[in-house]
Amino acid sequence: MSTNLIVIGGGPGGYAAAFLAADLGMNVTLVDLEKNPGGVCLYRGCIPSKALLHVAKLISEAEEAKNLGVEFSKPKIDLDKLRKWKNGVVDKLTGGLGILSKQRKINFVRGKAGFINSSTVKIEKIEGGAEELKFDKAIIATGSRIATLPFLDIKSKRFLNSTTALNLPVIPKSLLVIGAGYIGLELGSVYNALGSKVSVVEMLDGLLPGADRDLVSHLSKRIKSNFEEVILKSKVVEMKEVKNGIKVTIENKDGNINDKVYDYVLMSIGRKPDTSDLGLENTKVNVSERGWIKVNEQLRTDDPNIYAIGDIVGEPMLAHKASHEGRVAVEVIAGEKVAFEPKAIPAVVFTDPEIAWAGLTENQAKEKNIKVNISKFPWAASGRATTLDRFDGVTKIISEPNTDIILGVGICGPGAGELIAEGVLAIEMAANLTDLKLTIHPHPTLSETVMEAAEVFFGQSTHIYRPKRNKS
Amino acid sequence: MAKEFKLPELGENIESADVIGVLVKVGDKLEKDQSIIEIETDKATVEVPSTLEGTVSEVMVRVGDNVQVGQTLIKVDEAGKISDKTPDKKTVVDEKKNNLKMDPQVEEIEEKKSSSKKSSGKKEIVELKVPDLGENIDSADVIGVLVKPGDMLKIDQGTIEIETDKATVEVPSTIEGKVIDVMMKEGDKAKVDDVILIVEIRMETPVKKVWKESGLEVKTLRKTEVEKPESAESYKGKVSVLKPGEIDKQPPIRKGSAPAAPSVRRIAREIGIDINEVKGTGPGGRISMDDVKAHSKKLHLERKTGAGFGIKQESLPDFTVYGGVEKVEMTKIRKVTADHLSYAWATIPHVTQFDKADITQLEKARKEYNSKLEQGKSKLTVTAILLKIMASALKEFPQFNGSINMETKEIIYKKYFNVGIAVDTERGLIVPVIKDVDKKNINNLSKEMGELAQKARDKKISLKELQGGCITITNLGGIGGTSFTPVINSPEVAILGVSRGSYEPIYNGNGVFEPRLMLPLSLSYDHRIIDGADAVRFLRWVVEALEKPLKLLIDG
Repeated sequence: MSTNLIVIGGGPGGYAAAFLAADLGMNVTLVDLEKNPGGVCLYRGCIPSKALLHVAKLISEAEEAKNLGVEFSKPKIDLDKLRKWKNGVVDKLTGGLGILSKQRKINFVRGKAGFINSSTVKIEKIEGGAEELKFDKAIIATGSRIATLPFLDIKSKRFLNSTTALNLPVIPKSLLVIGAGYIGLELGSVYNALGSKVSVVEMLDGLLPGADRDLVSHLSKRIKSNFEEVILKSKVVEMKEVKNGIKVTIENKDGNINDKVYDYVLMSIGRKPDTSDLGLENTKVNVSERGWIKVNEQLRTDDPNIYAIGDIVGEPMLAHKASHEGRVAVEVIAGEKVAFEPKAIPAVVFTDPEIAWAGLTENQAKEKNIKVNISKFPWAASGRATTLDRFDGVTKIISEPNTDIILGVGICGPGAGELIAEGVLAIEMAANLTDLKLTIHPHPTLSETVMEAAEVFFGQSTHIYRPKRNKS
Repeated sequence: MAKEFKLPELGENIESADVIGVLVKVGDKLEKDQSIIEIETDKATVEVPSTLEGTVSEVMVRVGDNVQVGQTLIKVDEAGKISDKTPDKKTVVDEKKNNLKMDPQVEEIEEKKSSSKKSSGKKEIVELKVPDLGENIDSADVIGVLVKPGDMLKIDQGTIEIETDKATVEVPSTIEGKVIDVMMKEGDKAKVDDVILIVEIRMETPVKKVWKESGLEVKTLRKTEVEKPESAESYKGKVSVLKPGEIDKQPPIRKGSAPAAPSVRRIAREIGIDINEVKGTGPGGRISMDDVKAHSKKLHLERKTGAGFGIKQESLPDFTVYGGVEKVEMTKIRKVTADHLSYAWATIPHVTQFDKADITQLEKARKEYNSKLEQGKSKLTVTAILLKIMASALKEFPQFNGSINMETKEIIYKKYFNVGIAVDTERGLIVPVIKDVDKKNINNLSKEMGELAQKARDKKISLKELQGGCITITNLGGIGGTSFTPVINSPEVAILGVSRGSYEPIYNGNGVFEPRLMLPLSLSYDHRIIDGADAVRFLRWVVEALEKPLKLLIDG
């Protein structure tokens, strides 16, 4: 049996590529270990975590309603039912992808594929047996794995990673989250809302290292008040399972060492690529020092028949980047003269408040010595934010000084993840501040903050009195 | 097995043609020499005959298409063979040889080397064999033979085109020499170690030539097309096949630059334009779709008109090696003249028509007039008479009073009759323009011309007096010469050159040769707007006006 295109990995990059390829008339085989397409994103990442974060939000909003004169009694949490609902969400979406895959007549094979040479893969099937498959073109979309620190990798059911944490084994009395990146903060927020006393430890000096401090400051405030403890500039040097938990030894930047016992520990220090089982040595594909597959702007590896997309080709390791790359790779295979050339890839942290940004950040501008203008609209001046009793937000626009063209947008606040799409569009379209200012935004919504941030630049924001500073 | 039929060479500089008729359809039985399409080139309408036979499996052109030489027109299933159900790859070998440039210096040296050895070089007959095709492939179908006996074969030159179940590739030569015999033909099975060619080589060869890539980008570009099988689930797209190490030539991606929407950036990429080079006309330099189109058009036009393109600047030798030299900066006039005439020469297809006018009578009359010159009247000159004649001729032949706008594809006809006169000054060539020649008598023209020429020599002429010409007269007869080919003073479309008149024996039709004063005329014209016959008619009209001045009164 021969096929034209084989896509290895059925995550959001792989299935988007496979579906488009099928739509373009290619014969597509999609290989994945799971029963249906979806990958980490749907099975163990974006989707289940968002389902749980929704629940966390319900709980915290119900509690905060007492400030508005509505008081609920403490929620009763049926963990089994919650888990079942979350799994239902995953089943519904992945099942749907399975049907879409069938409708497109994609040959979906459950198994693990490795290259035998530049035109053949061998698939070890889940159901047993192996199959060799010839291909004209292959797309590697095997994603990334959870990164671990070997010296901290203890065998204990109390030691969680992002996958096991999403399975909701229990509601720990206390939970230490190692790493204050977006995965740690999202999952920490879930357990915090469910009733755990959550602490977070981070090596660097702030939450969400790398993100804009203007955006993070609101989140930091809330996390610090909701979480048990935020331990910065410190690292875990040892862990040991003890009778009623895990004893964690934390060393701060001054070298002071502190022991504390936590019911559970969640390690979320990031994700890393893994190309070890792909048989790349049988192809001409090259891998960078950091383990990422080397591709050109058309997502082609050094082996002309093999393409790679998504987490395995590098940062940012985001589902929407992978899907876009997948579609570009397929278009290239179809003979189109296209390349992966986005102006902005949005990033969203689904904490409460949410943080989202796209394009150039203020930090990057400083590092690269790019002159920019920055205008901010605080949500305290937003009518809609006030009706939500949420003032902890800001919308920030970074623009080019000579042309006023929007280079970057950052948003913090409830729903920031939804609002950022407008910013991405503005950047992609090379819109300028006047364009945003003159676009009528619906009232009363949080989206008005984007328009008003542009107005702030001209010293003309309706809801803020801040005269334009003299440009000097 | 399907084959592609590509548009063959159409001859002399014709790279493309418009399809005005498609004469076959899918499923047709095609015979050799049967016409496939009807095309129209700039020169003629022709039918393109097939060199293949079989069943037409795909027609890839439509009426109205512009097809390039080498473009696939149809795909043909060879008679007797049915195409495989599984899609096969086919490579359209699209060697962009112009991407390759041989370093001229290196080549020169090597050439010298080999030629110096040529005399002593012994010849040897060798065989070029099918190389290892890799990965368990021991044979392939020959789908094209790229050389013929007598060809001079170079290293890396493609010899045959073969198709394996993976790809279509050219087998490059590893030797250099003269092809004595080709041992394979289309349709053969080529096995590893089979003989492809018999080549006569010199013992010194192969001289490995040094190839340089024109840029950082790649050498050979191959495009592959996938044949369309009958099943509905088949592969419709094209697949690009690149060899290891090859990369597609892609406009670069510069992060954060080029303010253009994604759709605009994509279009630019598709048509091979570097978006970073497009000038945006929107606010803040935003690049619109129209800007990309305008940029593309500009590039296209520049290439078409050849302004600065295609002609490589040759560097000058060091003249001091041969003797003393002096370097003088060009004067302003010289610079302008050089630029202007280079442009005119490079962009206008010049043709020069020669004729002679019998001015025996005219000269007699002119001399008589000048000998009895009234007070205040200027001397009558041939040039002044020619001025009047030109104005009249322009009225008679309006296309000579035109200009071409290639951008808008328009011809501009002028309703005024200004004639330029080339004047030789110390500082260089200047062309004062006499305005409204049709409204002035010859005497006034003579006077005005004299004044303008003097002004030009005294550097007192204004820019205004040098502009607005419709046609130019350049009279070198005062110095000598029998004829010459003047360069058109663009944007005018013709120029009349006048050489020295001399007595020639002219047969009078009654058994006698008479000495007649003959004035040689050279008319250079822009062949884009003026046809040869019209040019002859124009010049004849001028000649007749000189010979029978009455014509001016009657027709002029």
